Amino acid sequence: MRLGLPWRRNLGGWRFRALAAAGLLVLATFLVPPLRLSRDGVRLLAVVDITGSMNVRDYAAERRPQSRLEAAKAALRRLVAGLPCGSQVALGLFTERRPFLLFEPVEVCAEFAPLDGAIAALDWRMAWEADSRVSAGLYRAVAMAAELDADLVFVTDGQEAPPLPATGTPPFDGRVGAVRGLIVGAGGYALSPIPKFNDRGREVGFYAETDVQQENRFGPAPADAESREGYNPRNAPFGSSAARGTEHLSALREAHLKDLAARTGLAYAHLDGPDSLAAPLSAAATPRPVPGRLDLRPVLGAAALLLVLAAHAAGPLRARGGRLTLRKA
Amino acid sequence: MSAVLDLIARCGAERPALLWLLPLALLPLVAAPRRRTPLPSLSAVPADPLSRALDGALRAAACLALAGLVVGLAGPYRNGAEVTRTGIGAEISMLIDRSGSMNETFAGRQPSGAEESKAAASRRILGDFVGSRAHDLFAVTGFSTAPMLVLPMTDRHEAVRAAIRAIDRPGLDYTNVGRGLALALAQFGSGPGTASRVLLLVSDGAAVIDPRVQDALRAAFAKVRPNLYWLFLRTKGSPGIADRPAGEDTPQAAPERHLDLFFKSLGAPYRAFEAEGPEAVAAAIRQIEGLERDPIPYIERRPRRDLTGAAYAAALLGLVLLILGKLAEADLGRAPAPAATRAPERRIAA
Repeated sequence: MRLGLPWRRNLGGWRFRALAAAGLLVLATFLVPPLRLSRDGVRLLAVVDITGSMNVRDYAAERRPQSRLEAAKAALRRLVAGLPCGSQVALGLFTERRPFLLFEPVEVCAEFAPLDGAIAALDWRMAWEADSRVSAGLYRAVAMAAELDADLVFVTDGQEAPPLPATGTPPFDGRVGAVRGLIVGAGGYALSPIPKFNDRGREVGFYAETDVQQENRFGPAPADAESREGYNPRNAPFGSSAARGTEHLSALREAHLKDLAARTGLAYAHLDGPDSLAAPLSAAATPRPVPGRLDLRPVLGAAALLLVLAAHAAGPLRARGGRLTLRKA
Repeated sequence: MSAVLDLIARCGAERPALLWLLPLALLPLVAAPRRRTPLPSLSAVPADPLSRALDGALRAAACLALAGLVVGLAGPYRNGAEVTRTGIGAEISMLIDRSGSMNETFAGRQPSGAEESKAAASRRILGDFVGSRAHDLFAVTGFSTAPMLVLPMTDRHEAVRAAIRAIDRPGLDYTNVGRGLALALAQFGSGPGTASRVLLLVSDGAAVIDPRVQDALRAAFAKVRPNLYWLFLRTKGSPGIADRPAGEDTPQAAPERHLDLFFKSLGAPYRAFEAEGPEAVAAAIRQIEGLERDPIPYIERRPRRDLTGAAYAAALLGLVLLILGKLAEADLGRAPAPAATRAPERRIAA
């Protein structure tokens, strides 16, 4: 039986062609495999300072004061959650004068739950000593990162306890820039009191001026010691009066951290909210290719959608345009 | 009804914002991709239910195509489900001594050459232990002067092995076992467990537990009720668990013996393994593995299912109908008489 349809006209119409092309595009979504490509992943060693000054509450979250440690944990958890699959993260603590590795690098997607749980469980109570020799800890963390073949993210507020001696920051004897990464400065720029805890872990107030060492009196005396009251080269090389200062209060020592960053070849970033780490890290870290795949179906689907919409909308639009020209004429 | 709601609640989209484009799927109700044929008045044509039905079907097909494309673009999926099954295994909370002496050999020296430190031996043997049974859950706690939560209870064995790999790094100060035990017990969570619970203490020494901490530990042990295993890595020549000191028998003089006595007094199932070399450690671990053969409920995760293909299939169905409709278009008046019975009707309805 012969159908008396205007085949040529039907097949030649552009709306038919648009719909047919859309149909082919949708058909292609079932046939085109995802594009294989490599994405930039990272391999990180995150070391978090858990010393006393990290308990200072000079951040805010949900309108409540938040300690530097909590802010650092929130930022690290956000960072880990946003890393592309295939990236690896190791976690360490810092207190006293060295980092302590909790676990070697683990993949961030398959092992996300324990990784996230371990970051959430970081606590100042894990500290095995009360000293906070930030520069020594950082140098050793750099060595540890090199050993793990990872980039370093070192979160600290930069407060050295005891204070640095008059001779200043100890020298870095590793190779500058051999390990890439980020020093993250945690804390506000204004001095805040440091909470004090008793031996059962309960908060019992704040540190007072006489509770902490205000001046490091090991090693040679500073150059101005001779002008101090009661100075005696043998018996009182640092003067006779007790040192006074603000070491019992804490602010982010950004200048010290930037100096350490320059010495070690790391980058510096200020911890400013939970989302503040991703951008500086991607700039500072070594990109490591991890396999990724690009799904092409959204592209095909979007093209098909536009074609179908055009086929539908063209008729009424042209009709309206036609009327308008008629009126003008 | 609730089943449908449940199904919708378990669905999601990767780009949910694109679902705001869904009203576009109503466009075919006001516009059609068909040729327009000028006609003086529709009232001139008799009412025709077949034409109306064809028109409705084609508009519905167009709606389906657009809706399918929009939903497909949004990337729909059905959430993965978690199914609880039962296997053989246990919840194992490992409490590992990270004090400095763990980095010495069983002979109490710094390791040299092929010698293995106590930490390296436990790293190797515990690493083999983790993952030898698929359904064990592990938590890792370290302790020296302070307890350190290394990993919370997890079934991800790769992460546990990464934590075990870190235990032969240089250790810290002293052995403060009391607080470590408290944290390792806390790793089981507060609920009444559904599986057999194992607390595995790996240490090369003991220490006096503060009486206050002892009371807290007794209470915690009574609540958690774990099976306690103490893998004591004994250095050659140092006092063992059973050795009575020559002088006064106080916890300070013989901490190992008194820790053992404390564990025995807890009333929990307890065994101590004294290992004086890597082979003894491996034998002890095998023994523990053999003892802990209880059923454990474990969670099997079903991966989430991508529904994009289904959405595009629906779109394709609608598009095929539309294309057939376009192919079957006829022109009013031009068509030859025999075939004109159906085609003009569609045009009129459109």
